[in-house]
Amino acid sequence: MTPKILLLPILLPAVLAVVLLLLPRTLRLLRDILAVAGAAVLLYYGFVLFSAKDLRLSVPWLGMGIDFDLRLYHFSSFILLALAGFLILIAVYATVKMKDAPRSGEFMAYVFLTAAFANGAVLSNNFVPLVFFWEGLLVTLYGLITIGGRPTSGRTAVKAVLISGFCDFAMILGIGLLWTVTGTLTMSEVSVEPTGLAAVAFVMMMIGAAGKAGAMPFHTWIPDAAVDAPVTFMAFLPAAFEKLLGIYLLARVALDFFKLRPGSGLSILLMVVGAVTIVLAVLMALIQKDLKRLLSYHAVSQVGYMVLGIGTAVPFGIAGGIFHMINHAMYKSGLFLSAGSVEHRTGTTDLKKLGGLRREMPLTAFGFVVCALAISGVWPLNGFVSKEMVFHGALETGYTVFAIAAWVGAIFTFASFLKAGHAVFFGERSLEVPKVRESQPAIVVPVLVLAALCITFGVYNKLPLTVFIQPILEGHAEAGAHLDFTSHALDIFNPVALISIGCLVLAFLIHRLGFLKFGRKAYMASALIQNLPGMRQAYDLAERRVFDPYEQGVKVLQGLSTVLFKAVDRPIDFFFEKIVTVSGEKFTGILRKAHNGHYANYLAWCLAGLIILAGVIGLLAK
Amino acid sequence: MNVETIVLLTVLVPIAGSFATPLAGLVAGRVRSVWAILVGGVTAVLPLTLVPFALQGGELVIRKSLALGLDFVLIVDPLSVFMAGVSSFVGFLIVIYSVGYVHHDENQNEYYLMVLLFIGSMMGLVFSGNLIFLYLFWEIIAIACWRLIGFYREPAHVRKADKAFLMTFFGAVVMLLGFVQIYGLTNTFDITAMRGTVLPGSAVLLILFGMFSKSTTVPLHTWLPDAGVAPSTVTALLHAAVLVKIGVYAFARLFIYTFRLPDGWQEAIPILVMVSALVAAGAAAVENDLKRILAYSTISQIGYIFLGFSMMNAAGISGSLLFILMHGLAKAGLFLCAGIVIHAVHTKDIREMGGLIKTMPVTAVAFLVCAFSVIGIPPFGGFFSKFLVILATVQAGHAWLAAVALFTAVLTMYYLFKVFSLVFLGEARHPAPERTKSMVFVVALLAVLSLAAGLFVAYPMKLVNIATTQMSWWLR
Repeated sequence: MTPKILLLPILLPAVLAVVLLLLPRTLRLLRDILAVAGAAVLLYYGFVLFSAKDLRLSVPWLGMGIDFDLRLYHFSSFILLALAGFLILIAVYATVKMKDAPRSGEFMAYVFLTAAFANGAVLSNNFVPLVFFWEGLLVTLYGLITIGGRPTSGRTAVKAVLISGFCDFAMILGIGLLWTVTGTLTMSEVSVEPTGLAAVAFVMMMIGAAGKAGAMPFHTWIPDAAVDAPVTFMAFLPAAFEKLLGIYLLARVALDFFKLRPGSGLSILLMVVGAVTIVLAVLMALIQKDLKRLLSYHAVSQVGYMVLGIGTAVPFGIAGGIFHMINHAMYKSGLFLSAGSVEHRTGTTDLKKLGGLRREMPLTAFGFVVCALAISGVWPLNGFVSKEMVFHGALETGYTVFAIAAWVGAIFTFASFLKAGHAVFFGERSLEVPKVRESQPAIVVPVLVLAALCITFGVYNKLPLTVFIQPILEGHAEAGAHLDFTSHALDIFNPVALISIGCLVLAFLIHRLGFLKFGRKAYMASALIQNLPGMRQAYDLAERRVFDPYEQGVKVLQGLSTVLFKAVDRPIDFFFEKIVTVSGEKFTGILRKAHNGHYANYLAWCLAGLIILAGVIGLLAK
Repeated sequence: MNVETIVLLTVLVPIAGSFATPLAGLVAGRVRSVWAILVGGVTAVLPLTLVPFALQGGELVIRKSLALGLDFVLIVDPLSVFMAGVSSFVGFLIVIYSVGYVHHDENQNEYYLMVLLFIGSMMGLVFSGNLIFLYLFWEIIAIACWRLIGFYREPAHVRKADKAFLMTFFGAVVMLLGFVQIYGLTNTFDITAMRGTVLPGSAVLLILFGMFSKSTTVPLHTWLPDAGVAPSTVTALLHAAVLVKIGVYAFARLFIYTFRLPDGWQEAIPILVMVSALVAAGAAAVENDLKRILAYSTISQIGYIFLGFSMMNAAGISGSLLFILMHGLAKAGLFLCAGIVIHAVHTKDIREMGGLIKTMPVTAVAFLVCAFSVIGIPPFGGFFSKFLVILATVQAGHAWLAAVALFTAVLTMYYLFKVFSLVFLGEARHPAPERTKSMVFVVALLAVLSLAAGLFVAYPMKLVNIATTQMSWWLR
């Protein structure tokens, strides 16, 4: 196999994107066929490349050590395969879901362009192509969100791009620092101790990676996009692609580029980011009254587990974080797609208006329930396994507080999914929505495929763990210790798992109590937590975006700009416009007055001149 | 044709052609337009024929002896070929666009004369190897610029034109003092004869004054936003192709290729230019006049170009050279899009526009693409230049300046997206279609070029790298 094949996952979707963009609307069928076929080819090559393992393609590019360097190895081939898998599901789903949407051709094109950039970013083995592909995602991010077509879509798109752009720029700074420290831009050659300048580089690159994955505080565009962007986009980017990319890079940063040590300050920093993200985002998710917004906050909260897992710097925790990444992409994508299925038929995702849909949409309901149980960490689904691994890893570092935060997150995750599932699919059939049918196969099949994968990866967890995850950790200085999945019992009978199950029982009780107390309305179940003293005020502030760093950041930008403009720019202009011109006019005015035509006056000038001349000559003569 | 003939033609064709424009105007307006495009096209093609010569790292000095030791010296090297190619090419596109833009206006003879003279003197300046001729072309450009800014002849416009002329003229005269001081040191105005001289600090200050006034760096910048009263074609010419690039080009030619800077200035210049970039970006975020915003954006980007050059390392110099190309394409695109919009809605206030993407889709997309490029988002060309400049800044040990530069990039993103949202998205206030085909064609072409320059960046980069190696002889 020639290394040139590495260009295929980049060029094929890019070319396809251009074709899809140029196809007229009337050729919709051709567009859909092309999209699905293209995605299928990519998936096929995903498998081919996964079996090929090591390949490298390096061509000179910009000089100065900046080569167009692509490298395929077990980690990148795994992500590549996962990306291709999600791409085909989204492409199939979009053929029906985006059928009547305006700019649907553009949607497909941007999806494939995103795939091209994402594949390029994963394959890059030089930081410059990495940033090129990574930051290129901003373009499609902007395009995809604006397709939502709501009045606020443009605003949300700008918000998403500004936040992501900020993170990308931080990463650029980190790469620059890393280049200065190591003297090379080739990723496979970089491995430094994170001290001094390198520690700053680590934090900067961490911001880039965690920001892409949507960790706090770089998450606030995601809930907004849940409302303003198409739901297919949510299943595609924030749920799947961005998590895969962000966590891939974070794992590379923590494992390869820097030697992150357990218990070091940077490891604790990562764990704090993870723990805070888990708890705060899940508390926000709990009170949401709209299914898509609720899911979007979970998309943030779950990143916390991945960041926490990788932040432990313990092999088991890192493996858990990476495993959680792929698991999350499956069930969160599945959840968004089933929410989209509900929206497709009922026209709404408002929890208040929905209810009892399980009879009319049994397959969607089944998919949703499996994915919801998986995300809640119910045995034996995949979420249970990866969360257990993260708990074990967190405990292994000795900082129990992080494990506790993760458990708190688990309680409210399950509580909020009990609420969501109860409100949409169970309970009494609401009267606000007319009778509906199950969605078309193209919508239901992707949901069911993802649900099936959730079950497979849970029940046969040894398979993905040994095939996908374990090779990633081999050969790393710190994480080199051979992973022994049997020493950590990943089944149901061990103390850690029992605590987790206890959390689930607690969540059930909270939901039940809230349900009974607030008029037997499922969507009101979270009011129990919301009405706790202090919580209501905090929630109110959060809803008013007081805690949104973007809103505050924009205010800072505006304030700073105004200060720079009023205090620096305008005074300078005032100097040239007023002081220079006025003093010039004054000066010429004096001269003009001097020329008044009186003979005596001119004579006086001549005399004065003579005296000055004489004085000067006298001085020079001495 | 040998290299010498091509270079002489590159300078003489547009200058001679400019003075022949009124003659063509006597025949018919159409003939004049064709003539202008023809001259612009020939000027754009000629430097491109020198590219193979430059790619071999060739360097040629042409010397015509004149009286008083003021030899007419032309330097043909990768740097001058690159700069001439970029300027004349962008200038040519603007001439094509002009045909649609000014065809209702009076004084078209003068317009085309000045535009071609503008491009011609730029060619002269770029190839000049003599400080006095550099100064002469510098001032001819100022005169052309003065006539063009006040093109609409309204009293307020003429005052702004005077301001631009006076400020750049004043800066140039101060610079001339610096040249005189250098003459005192070296007894020559010939650049090739004084390579490697370490400049005294006072001469650096005097010359920087000229560069900063022409390349609009705080605190000598406010004439540029005011010059927005000119026709959009002229502003595009000032910002993208000719005027503001003179200062940065002179910086590269004098402070990198020729002289060595004293130590203190190597530390001070990056800070000065970064303050300028930040202040201008702040001002751009506050302004509401479309052309003033874009003008401040130019000032801000010029700061990056200076920053890269002043890092004095390979990545910085290459990045800044590339920046001249990328910014030229993207900023020309933005101004010409603004021209289409202003032509159609008859206001410059972005708060009074909106929803134009429905009626002007091509312009909107072109604007967005050029904005992405100016911000520095891949796959568009501007990414590489800004990225290299920032990498070079970090590499040279100025991590804090790099952080400021990145913050400025965030600010750039903020105000350009604000402009795009207000002008093209939302409620349509003054729905107006894109009218003239040639104008829309040019902005679309510039957008495509911005994209192509990013995708095929390796090609311009080849020339840029050769220019860098050849300029930074002291690094070898």
